[in-house]
Amino acid sequence: MNRQETLNNIREKFKGDIKNFLERSPKRVYIEIDANALIPIATYIFKDLGARFNIASGLDTRQHFEILYHFTFEALDMIVSLRVILPRDKLEIASLTCVFEGANWIEREINEMLGIKFTGHPDLRRLLLPEDWPEGVYPLRRDYKEWDPNAIRDRGV
Amino acid sequence: MGIKTRALLKSPWIFHMSTGSCNNCDIEVLDCLTPRFDIERFGMLLAGSIKHADVLVVTGAATRQCIPKIKRVYEQMPKPCFVVAIGECALSRGLYIQSYNCPTPIDKIIPVDVYIPGCPPKPEAIIAGILKLINKVSDHRVTDGSEASPAARNEVRTRGIMELR
Repeated sequence: MNRQETLNNIREKFKGDIKNFLERSPKRVYIEIDANALIPIATYIFKDLGARFNIASGLDTRQHFEILYHFTFEALDMIVSLRVILPRDKLEIASLTCVFEGANWIEREINEMLGIKFTGHPDLRRLLLPEDWPEGVYPLRRDYKEWDPNAIRDRGV
Repeated sequence: MGIKTRALLKSPWIFHMSTGSCNNCDIEVLDCLTPRFDIERFGMLLAGSIKHADVLVVTGAATRQCIPKIKRVYEQMPKPCFVVAIGECALSRGLYIQSYNCPTPIDKIIPVDVYIPGCPPKPEAIIAGILKLINKVSDHRVTDGSEASPAARNEVRTRGIMELR
């Protein structure tokens, strides 16, 4: 299957769920999808088309939150990113751990850094932050404020 | 200077600890150990365990997870000992000064004797820094607290290095 056929397949199969299809360059394709259709689309891309799951990235764009799931098609030299937009008042999305185990840790990290809840995740503990980090403080959010009164923020010179 | 410090400076064994650095300073520390820079000529050896070490070499901006570990490593070190902070991150946290994960500079966690700035510092700078430490401590022995003339100090310094070789 060549590049155009692959993209057409995705477009045809999930016509109702794809909100925006952006081919930024021959190597980079962004597909904005509905949050409810994430699992079937990811399963199709991962299992049927044989793409590799690279990583997911979470963003806080002030208006809303975004998660980009990056998939690599190595034979086609192309990266397809599934973009899911989450409104600020409902930060919940289905976990992809049931489809591929590789999503486990990055979902834990997005959960602790941005506070997005992944429903169906087997073990949503903290990954990188220390044990004494306060609950409900998410360091990579735009509205993050210094919470630690003991922190020293000058260079001492 | 007691016999302990004197013995320590004859052949200071170093223990290298990375507290969340980008590994660039660590590469420069390893560079020092290669034959090109060869800090073994000053008697310095990389110790495998902190319990064998005399000098703790710290790189990186201490992360929250690392702060208790730095304290624990320092406590396990046989005293007297010296701490050398290598690189901008270990000195003032450099780029990461506002980071949510780096609340405290290293010299507010453990006492630091020598600061070697640079991002990363050259191996020459690291050697110079550690030699400054050795000379500083040796000076105390010979001048015995009294003021020595610059020439005499220089002489002492050279003698110190020669002795160490």
